[in-house]
Amino acid sequence: MKTVSNLLDPVWYERYKRISSLNIRSSIYDVTNRCNLRCRGCFFFSSGEDLVQEETDLKKWEAFIDREKTRGVNLAILIGGEPTLCMDRVEAFYKRIPSYCATNGLIKVPRDRFPDMMVGISLWGGGEDEKILRGKDTFAISSRNYEGDPYTYYLYTVTPKQVGRIEPVIKRIVDVGLKVHLQLLSNDEGVDGFHWREGELRDLRVEMDEMLERYPQTVISSKYYHEVITTGIMLGRRFSWRECPSVTESLDNRQPPVRRLIHFYRWAADLKTVHRCCTSATRDCATCKDGAAHMSWIMVNKRDHIISTQDLQNWIEVYEMFAKLYRLIPW
Amino acid sequence: MPESTVTKGIERRVAEIIIEELKLEDVTPDTFNPEMDLVDELGIDSMDLATIALVLQDEYKIVIDEDDYPRLKTVRLICAYIEEKLAVKH
Repeated sequence: MKTVSNLLDPVWYERYKRISSLNIRSSIYDVTNRCNLRCRGCFFFSSGEDLVQEETDLKKWEAFIDREKTRGVNLAILIGGEPTLCMDRVEAFYKRIPSYCATNGLIKVPRDRFPDMMVGISLWGGGEDEKILRGKDTFAISSRNYEGDPYTYYLYTVTPKQVGRIEPVIKRIVDVGLKVHLQLLSNDEGVDGFHWREGELRDLRVEMDEMLERYPQTVISSKYYHEVITTGIMLGRRFSWRECPSVTESLDNRQPPVRRLIHFYRWAADLKTVHRCCTSATRDCATCKDGAAHMSWIMVNKRDHIISTQDLQNWIEVYEMFAKLYRLIPW
Repeated sequence: MPESTVTKGIERRVAEIIIEELKLEDVTPDTFNPEMDLVDELGIDSMDLATIALVLQDEYKIVIDEDDYPRLKTVRLICAYIEEKLAVKH
Protein backbone atom coordinates (compact mmCIF):
# COMPACT_ATOMS: atom_id res chain seq x y z
CA MET A 1 0.00 0.00 0.00
CA LYS A 2 1.32 3.44 -0.92
CA THR A 3 1.59 5.78 2.02
CA VAL A 4 2.66 9.38 2.24
CA SER A 5 5.82 8.69 4.21
CA ASN A 6 7.11 6.04 1.88
CA LEU A 7 6.75 8.36 -1.11
CA LEU A 8 8.41 11.38 0.50
CA ASP A 9 11.78 12.09 2.04
CA PRO A 10 11.73 13.59 5.56
CA VAL A 11 11.85 17.20 4.33
CA TRP A 12 8.88 16.78 1.99
CA TYR A 13 7.05 14.76 4.62
CA GLU A 14 7.33 17.63 7.07
CA ARG A 15 6.03 20.00 4.37
CA TYR A 16 3.11 17.63 3.82
CA LYS A 17 2.28 17.44 7.53
CA ARG A 18 2.41 21.22 7.86
CA ILE A 19 -0.37 21.65 5.33
CA SER A 20 -2.34 18.48 5.98
CA SER A 21 -3.21 19.81 9.41
CA LEU A 22 -4.93 22.85 7.89
CA ASN A 23 -8.62 22.23 7.78
CA ILE A 24 -9.91 25.01 5.59
CA ARG A 25 -13.63 25.63 5.16
CA SER A 26 -13.96 28.58 2.82
CA SER A 27 -16.95 30.31 1.36
CA ILE A 28 -17.31 33.31 -0.92
CA TYR A 29 -19.36 36.42 -0.23
CA ASP A 30 -20.50 39.19 -2.57
CA VAL A 31 -20.07 42.08 -0.16
CA THR A 32 -21.84 44.56 -2.42
CA ASN A 33 -23.32 44.83 -5.90
CA ARG A 34 -21.61 48.13 -6.53
CA CYS A 35 -18.24 48.67 -8.12
CA ASN A 36 -16.15 51.70 -8.99
CA LEU A 37 -15.08 50.10 -12.27
CA ARG A 38 -16.92 48.48 -15.15
CA CYS A 39 -14.49 46.01 -16.64
CA ARG A 40 -15.07 44.30 -19.96
CA GLY A 41 -14.70 40.64 -19.11
CA CYS A 42 -16.10 40.87 -15.58
CA PHE A 43 -18.64 38.06 -15.08
CA PHE A 44 -20.32 39.68 -12.09
CA PHE A 45 -22.23 42.31 -14.04
CA SER A 46 -22.50 40.52 -17.37
CA SER A 47 -24.24 37.54 -15.78
CA GLY A 48 -26.63 39.64 -13.70
CA GLU A 49 -25.26 38.63 -10.34
CA ASP A 50 -25.68 42.24 -9.23
CA LEU A 51 -29.46 42.16 -9.60
CA VAL A 52 -30.33 40.95 -6.11
CA GLN A 53 -31.51 43.45 -3.51
CA GLU A 54 -28.40 44.25 -1.52
CA GLU A 55 -28.74 43.93 2.27
CA THR A 56 -27.79 47.26 3.81
CA ASP A 57 -28.47 46.61 7.50
CA LEU A 58 -25.10 46.02 9.15
CA LYS A 59 -26.73 44.14 12.03
CA LYS A 60 -28.11 41.62 9.54
CA TRP A 61 -24.65 41.20 8.04
CA GLU A 62 -23.21 40.60 11.49
CA ALA A 63 -25.86 38.01 12.35
CA PHE A 64 -25.32 36.33 8.97
CA ILE A 65 -21.56 36.15 9.49
CA ASP A 66 -22.08 34.69 12.96
CA ARG A 67 -24.23 31.98 11.39
CA GLU A 68 -21.55 31.32 8.80
CA LYS A 69 -18.99 30.96 11.54
CA THR A 70 -21.24 28.50 13.33
CA ARG A 71 -21.58 26.63 10.03
CA GLY A 72 -17.84 26.05 10.22
CA VAL A 73 -16.51 28.63 7.78
CA ASN A 74 -12.96 29.53 8.74
CA LEU A 75 -11.94 31.47 5.64
CA ALA A 76 -14.20 34.19 4.24
CA ILE A 77 -13.37 35.26 0.71
CA LEU A 78 -14.83 38.68 0.11
CA ILE A 79 -15.57 39.70 -3.45
CA GLY A 80 -18.24 41.82 -5.11
CA GLY A 81 -18.73 44.27 -6.65
CA GLU A 82 -15.97 46.12 -4.93
CA PRO A 83 -15.83 45.16 -1.23
CA THR A 84 -13.88 48.24 -0.16
CA LEU A 85 -16.93 50.39 -0.97
CA CYS A 86 -18.45 48.83 2.16
CA MET A 87 -15.68 48.78 4.75
CA ASP A 88 -18.13 48.29 7.61
CA ARG A 89 -19.24 44.96 6.11
CA VAL A 90 -15.65 43.95 5.45
CA GLU A 91 -14.84 44.80 9.05
CA ALA A 92 -17.78 42.72 10.28
CA PHE A 93 -16.24 39.71 8.53
CA TYR A 94 -12.69 40.51 9.61
CA LYS A 95 -13.68 40.71 13.27
CA ARG A 96 -15.33 37.29 13.16
CA ILE A 97 -13.61 35.05 10.61
CA PRO A 98 -10.16 35.06 8.98
CA SER A 99 -10.91 37.03 5.83
CA TYR A 100 -9.46 37.74 2.42
CA CYS A 101 -10.54 40.80 0.48
CA ALA A 102 -10.44 40.83 -3.32
CA THR A 103 -10.26 44.41 -4.57
CA ASN A 104 -9.29 46.46 -7.58
CA GLY A 105 -7.00 48.41 -5.26
CA LEU A 106 -8.39 51.85 -6.03
CA ILE A 107 -9.40 52.30 -2.39
CA LYS A 108 -6.83 51.55 0.28
CA VAL A 109 -7.80 49.12 3.00
CA PRO A 110 -6.85 51.07 6.14
CA ARG A 111 -4.31 49.03 8.00
CA ASP A 112 -5.21 50.55 11.34
CA ARG A 113 -8.60 48.82 11.03
CA PHE A 114 -7.40 45.71 9.19
CA PRO A 115 -3.79 45.16 10.28
CA ASP A 116 -3.34 41.66 8.87
CA MET A 117 -6.24 41.07 6.50
CA MET A 118 -5.09 39.49 3.26
CA VAL A 119 -5.78 41.66 0.24
CA GLY A 120 -5.68 40.48 -3.36
CA ILE A 121 -5.59 43.22 -5.99
CA SER A 122 -6.95 42.36 -9.40
CA LEU A 123 -4.73 43.26 -12.33
CA TRP A 124 -5.49 42.55 -15.96
CA GLY A 125 -2.15 43.17 -17.60
CA GLY A 126 0.00 46.12 -18.51
CA GLY A 127 -1.21 49.71 -18.66
CA GLU A 128 -2.63 49.57 -22.19
CA ASP A 129 -4.54 46.31 -21.61
CA GLU A 130 -5.92 47.70 -18.40
CA LYS A 131 -7.17 50.78 -20.22
CA ILE A 132 -8.87 48.66 -22.88
CA LEU A 133 -10.51 46.26 -20.44
CA ARG A 134 -11.02 48.41 -17.34
CA GLY A 135 -11.02 51.97 -18.57
CA LYS A 136 -7.89 52.93 -16.67
CA ASP A 137 -4.47 51.74 -15.61
CA THR A 138 -5.42 50.65 -12.10
CA PHE A 139 -1.86 49.61 -11.26
CA ALA A 140 -0.76 53.24 -11.07
CA ILE A 141 -3.23 53.78 -8.22
CA SER A 142 -3.23 50.40 -6.49
CA SER A 143 0.57 50.23 -6.36
CA ARG A 144 0.64 53.62 -4.60
CA ASN A 145 -1.98 52.43 -2.12
CA TYR A 146 -0.31 49.14 -1.26
CA GLU A 147 3.41 49.50 -1.98
CA GLY A 148 5.40 47.15 0.29
CA ASP A 149 2.31 45.90 2.13
CA PRO A 150 3.18 42.45 3.56
CA TYR A 151 -0.42 41.24 3.45
CA THR A 152 -1.14 42.14 -0.15
CA TYR A 153 -0.53 40.52 -3.51
CA TYR A 154 -1.60 41.10 -7.08
CA LEU A 155 -3.97 38.62 -8.68
CA TYR A 156 -2.85 39.00 -12.26
CA THR A 157 -5.41 37.75 -14.77
CA VAL A 158 -3.42 36.97 -17.88
CA THR A 159 -5.26 37.59 -21.14
CA PRO A 160 -4.38 36.21 -24.58
CA LYS A 161 -2.92 39.60 -25.45
CA GLN A 162 -0.45 39.24 -22.58
CA VAL A 163 1.25 36.11 -23.88
CA GLY A 164 4.93 36.94 -24.32
CA ARG A 165 4.49 40.17 -22.35
CA ILE A 166 4.15 39.07 -18.75
CA GLU A 167 7.62 39.93 -17.52
CA PRO A 168 7.30 43.74 -17.62
CA VAL A 169 4.15 43.43 -15.49
CA ILE A 170 5.95 41.19 -12.99
CA LYS A 171 8.85 43.66 -12.87
CA ARG A 172 6.50 46.51 -12.00
CA ILE A 173 5.21 44.39 -9.12
CA VAL A 174 8.74 43.55 -7.97
CA ASP A 175 9.53 47.26 -7.96
CA VAL A 176 6.68 48.05 -5.56
CA GLY A 177 7.62 45.21 -3.21
CA LEU A 178 4.51 43.09 -3.65
CA LYS A 179 3.82 39.47 -4.62
CA VAL A 180 1.82 38.18 -7.56
CA HIS A 181 -0.30 35.16 -8.37
CA LEU A 182 -1.23 34.35 -11.96
CA GLN A 183 -4.55 33.22 -13.35
CA LEU A 184 -6.22 33.22 -16.76
CA LEU A 185 -9.03 35.17 -18.36
CA SER A 186 -11.97 32.94 -19.27
CA ASN A 187 -13.60 35.64 -21.43
CA ASP A 188 -17.20 34.52 -20.96
CA GLU A 189 -18.23 37.91 -22.20
CA GLY A 190 -16.60 37.32 -25.57
CA VAL A 191 -14.56 40.50 -25.57
CA ASP A 192 -13.14 40.93 -29.06
CA GLY A 193 -9.51 39.96 -29.41
CA PHE A 194 -9.39 38.26 -26.02
CA HIS A 195 -10.19 34.70 -27.05
CA TRP A 196 -7.55 32.04 -26.51
CA ARG A 197 -6.18 30.67 -29.74
CA GLU A 198 -4.49 27.38 -30.50
CA GLY A 199 -1.01 27.25 -29.02
CA GLU A 200 -1.28 30.38 -26.88
CA LEU A 201 -1.94 28.50 -23.67
CA ARG A 202 1.01 26.20 -24.35
CA ASP A 203 3.26 29.22 -24.84
CA LEU A 204 1.82 30.86 -21.76
CA ARG A 205 2.57 27.83 -19.61
CA VAL A 206 6.24 28.02 -20.61
CA GLU A 207 6.27 31.73 -19.87
CA MET A 208 4.62 31.30 -16.47
CA ASP A 209 7.18 28.64 -15.56
CA GLU A 210 9.97 31.01 -16.57
CA MET A 211 8.54 33.80 -14.42
CA LEU A 212 8.36 31.47 -11.43
CA GLU A 213 12.00 30.48 -11.93
CA ARG A 214 13.17 34.04 -12.49
CA TYR A 215 11.16 35.73 -9.71
CA PRO A 216 10.68 33.05 -7.02
CA GLN A 217 10.39 35.65 -4.27
CA THR A 218 7.61 37.47 -6.08
CA VAL A 219 5.58 34.91 -8.02
CA ILE A 220 3.42 32.75 -5.74
CA SER A 221 2.71 29.79 -7.94
CA SER A 222 3.70 26.27 -8.93
CA LYS A 223 4.52 24.62 -12.23
CA TYR A 224 1.91 21.94 -11.70
CA TYR A 225 -0.74 24.62 -11.27
CA HIS A 226 0.47 26.18 -14.53
CA GLU A 227 0.13 22.81 -16.23
CA VAL A 228 -3.39 22.17 -14.96
CA ILE A 229 -4.74 25.64 -15.58
CA THR A 230 -3.37 25.94 -19.11
CA THR A 231 -4.34 22.42 -20.21
CA GLY A 232 -7.50 21.98 -18.15
CA ILE A 233 -6.26 18.46 -17.46
CA MET A 234 -5.27 16.87 -14.15
CA LEU A 235 -4.10 13.26 -13.92
CA GLY A 236 -5.65 12.60 -17.33
CA ARG A 237 -9.05 14.05 -16.34
CA ARG A 238 -10.51 17.14 -17.99
CA PHE A 239 -11.98 19.98 -15.91
CA SER A 240 -15.77 20.07 -16.25
CA TRP A 241 -19.02 20.30 -14.30
CA ARG A 242 -18.42 16.68 -13.28
CA GLU A 243 -15.08 17.65 -11.77
CA CYS A 244 -15.46 21.18 -10.38
CA PRO A 245 -15.05 21.28 -6.58
CA SER A 246 -16.27 24.86 -6.10
CA VAL A 247 -20.02 24.37 -6.41
CA THR A 248 -22.39 25.75 -3.78
CA GLU A 249 -23.29 22.83 -1.55
CA SER A 250 -27.06 23.36 -1.57
CA LEU A 251 -27.10 23.43 -5.38
CA ASP A 252 -24.86 20.44 -5.85
CA ASN A 253 -27.02 17.52 -6.92
CA ARG A 254 -24.36 15.73 -8.91
CA GLN A 255 -24.52 11.93 -8.74
CA PRO A 256 -22.36 10.15 -7.98
CA PRO A 257 -21.06 12.81 -5.61
CA VAL A 258 -18.05 14.77 -6.77
CA ARG A 259 -15.00 15.51 -4.64
CA ARG A 260 -15.66 19.06 -3.56
CA LEU A 261 -14.98 21.82 -1.06
CA ILE A 262 -16.83 20.82 2.08
CA HIS A 263 -19.72 23.17 2.93
CA PHE A 264 -18.69 25.66 0.25
CA TYR A 265 -21.25 28.37 -0.56
CA ARG A 266 -21.12 31.49 -2.64
CA TRP A 267 -23.53 34.03 -1.23
CA ALA A 268 -25.02 37.03 -2.99
CA ALA A 269 -25.17 40.42 -1.31
CA ASP A 270 -28.82 39.95 -0.28
CA LEU A 271 -27.55 37.22 2.09
CA LYS A 272 -30.26 34.90 0.80
CA THR A 273 -29.41 34.06 -2.79
CA VAL A 274 -26.65 31.62 -3.54
CA HIS A 275 -24.71 31.48 -6.78
CA ARG A 276 -23.95 28.17 -8.48
CA CYS A 277 -20.21 28.30 -8.05
CA CYS A 278 -17.20 30.49 -7.46
CA THR A 279 -17.70 32.14 -10.81
CA SER A 280 -20.64 32.90 -13.06
CA ALA A 281 -23.42 30.35 -13.61
CA THR A 282 -23.47 31.46 -17.25
CA ARG A 283 -19.95 30.17 -17.71
CA ASP A 284 -19.35 26.96 -19.63
CA CYS A 285 -17.47 24.68 -17.22
CA ALA A 286 -15.66 23.07 -20.15
CA THR A 287 -13.87 26.33 -20.93
CA CYS A 288 -13.71 27.76 -17.39
CA LYS A 289 -10.21 28.84 -16.49
CA ASP A 290 -10.95 30.05 -12.99
CA GLY A 291 -7.71 29.87 -11.03
CA ALA A 292 -9.27 29.19 -7.63
CA ALA A 293 -11.48 26.41 -9.01
CA HIS A 294 -8.53 24.69 -10.66
CA MET A 295 -6.40 25.10 -7.55
CA SER A 296 -9.17 23.61 -5.42
CA TRP A 297 -9.68 20.84 -7.95
CA ILE A 298 -6.12 19.71 -7.35
CA MET A 299 -6.37 20.17 -3.59
CA VAL A 300 -9.51 18.08 -3.06
CA ASN A 301 -8.02 15.23 -5.06
CA LYS A 302 -5.15 14.59 -2.68
CA ARG A 303 -5.39 10.82 -2.56
CA ASP A 304 -5.34 10.58 -6.33
CA HIS A 305 -1.89 12.18 -6.18
CA ILE A 306 -0.55 9.53 -3.81
CA ILE A 307 0.70 7.51 -6.74
CA SER A 308 4.29 8.64 -7.13
CA THR A 309 6.73 10.94 -5.38
CA GLN A 310 6.47 13.52 -8.16
CA ASP A 311 2.66 13.52 -8.17
CA LEU A 312 2.47 13.94 -4.41
CA GLN A 313 5.10 16.70 -4.45
CA ASN A 314 3.08 18.46 -7.16
CA TRP A 315 0.04 18.30 -4.91
CA ILE A 316 1.99 19.64 -1.93
CA GLU A 317 3.31 22.58 -3.95
CA VAL A 318 -0.18 23.57 -5.04
CA TYR A 319 -1.52 23.31 -1.51
CA GLU A 320 1.40 25.40 -0.25
CA MET A 321 0.65 27.97 -2.94
CA PHE A 322 -2.94 28.18 -1.73
CA ALA A 323 -1.83 28.41 1.90
CA LYS A 324 0.60 31.20 1.08
CA LEU A 325 -2.03 33.18 -0.79
CA TYR A 326 -4.11 33.29 2.37
CA ARG A 327 -1.07 33.55 4.65
CA LEU A 328 -1.92 30.28 6.38
CA ILE A 329 1.79 29.63 6.06
CA PRO A 330 4.51 32.25 5.50
CA TRP A 331 5.26 33.42 1.92
CA MET B 1 -4.96 -4.86 28.84
CA PRO B 2 -5.69 -7.25 25.96
CA GLU B 3 -8.23 -6.07 23.46
CA SER B 4 -11.65 -7.63 23.76
CA THR B 5 -13.11 -9.66 20.93
CA VAL B 6 -15.71 -6.94 20.44
CA THR B 7 -13.03 -4.29 20.04
CA LYS B 8 -11.09 -6.44 17.60
CA GLY B 9 -14.25 -7.06 15.63
CA ILE B 10 -14.99 -3.36 15.37
CA GLU B 11 -11.42 -2.57 14.38
CA ARG B 12 -11.53 -5.19 11.66
CA ARG B 13 -14.83 -3.87 10.34
CA VAL B 14 -13.58 -0.26 10.38
CA ALA B 15 -10.49 -1.33 8.44
CA GLU B 16 -12.72 -3.17 5.95
CA ILE B 17 -14.87 -0.08 5.44
CA ILE B 18 -11.85 2.16 4.95
CA ILE B 19 -10.31 -0.24 2.45
CA GLU B 20 -13.57 -0.51 0.56
CA GLU B 21 -14.53 3.18 0.58
CA LEU B 22 -11.05 4.42 -0.30
CA LYS B 23 -10.46 1.57 -2.74
CA LEU B 24 -7.13 0.78 -1.13
CA GLU B 25 -4.94 -1.79 -2.79
CA ASP B 26 -2.33 -4.16 -1.36
CA VAL B 27 -3.87 -4.20 2.09
CA THR B 28 -6.39 -6.36 3.90
CA PRO B 29 -8.24 -5.87 7.20
CA ASP B 30 -5.71 -8.28 8.72
CA THR B 31 -2.66 -6.36 7.51
CA PHE B 32 -4.10 -2.89 8.12
CA ASN B 33 -2.12 -1.24 10.92
CA PRO B 34 -4.76 0.07 13.37
CA GLU B 35 -2.28 2.64 14.67
CA MET B 36 -1.53 4.15 11.25
CA ASP B 37 -2.32 7.86 11.04
CA LEU B 38 -5.02 8.09 8.39
CA VAL B 39 -4.27 11.71 7.48
CA ASP B 40 -0.50 11.76 7.70
CA GLU B 41 0.00 8.37 6.08
CA LEU B 42 -3.02 7.51 3.95
CA GLY B 43 -3.75 11.11 3.01
CA ILE B 44 -7.43 10.98 3.79
CA ASP B 45 -9.23 14.31 4.01
CA SER B 46 -12.49 15.52 5.52
CA MET B 47 -14.51 14.37 2.52
CA ASP B 48 -13.08 10.85 2.87
CA LEU B 49 -13.84 10.98 6.58
CA ALA B 50 -17.39 12.11 5.88
CA THR B 51 -17.86 9.15 3.54
CA ILE B 52 -16.46 6.70 6.07
CA ALA B 53 -18.50 8.29 8.87
CA LEU B 54 -21.72 7.82 6.89
CA VAL B 55 -21.08 4.11 6.53
CA LEU B 56 -20.14 3.77 10.20
CA GLN B 57 -23.26 5.66 11.27
CA ASP B 58 -25.45 3.27 9.28
CA GLU B 59 -23.63 0.23 10.49
CA TYR B 60 -23.53 1.06 14.20
CA LYS B 61 -26.63 3.29 14.39
CA ILE B 62 -24.68 6.12 15.96
CA VAL B 63 -24.29 9.79 15.14
CA ILE B 64 -20.79 11.00 14.31
CA ASP B 65 -20.51 14.73 14.79
CA GLU B 66 -18.40 16.52 12.20
CA ASP B 67 -16.62 18.36 14.99
CA ASP B 68 -15.33 14.98 16.15
CA TYR B 69 -13.55 14.21 12.86
CA PRO B 70 -10.16 15.41 14.16
CA ARG B 71 -10.38 12.67 16.80
CA LEU B 72 -10.75 9.95 14.19
CA LYS B 73 -7.11 9.74 13.27
CA THR B 74 -6.52 6.00 13.32
CA VAL B 75 -8.58 2.82 13.09
CA ARG B 76 -7.94 2.27 16.79
CA LEU B 77 -9.22 5.74 17.70
CA ILE B 78 -12.26 5.32 15.47
CA CYS B 79 -12.98 2.04 17.20
CA ALA B 80 -12.67 3.66 20.64
CA TYR B 81 -14.99 6.44 19.47
CA ILE B 82 -17.60 3.94 18.27
CA GLU B 83 -17.44 2.01 21.54
CA GLU B 84 -17.87 5.25 23.47
CA LYS B 85 -20.95 6.13 21.42
CA LEU B 86 -22.40 2.63 21.81
CA ALA B 87 -21.86 2.73 25.56
CA VAL B 88 -23.80 5.99 25.84
CA LYS B 89 -26.59 4.52 23.71
CA HIS B 90 -26.99 1.47 25.92
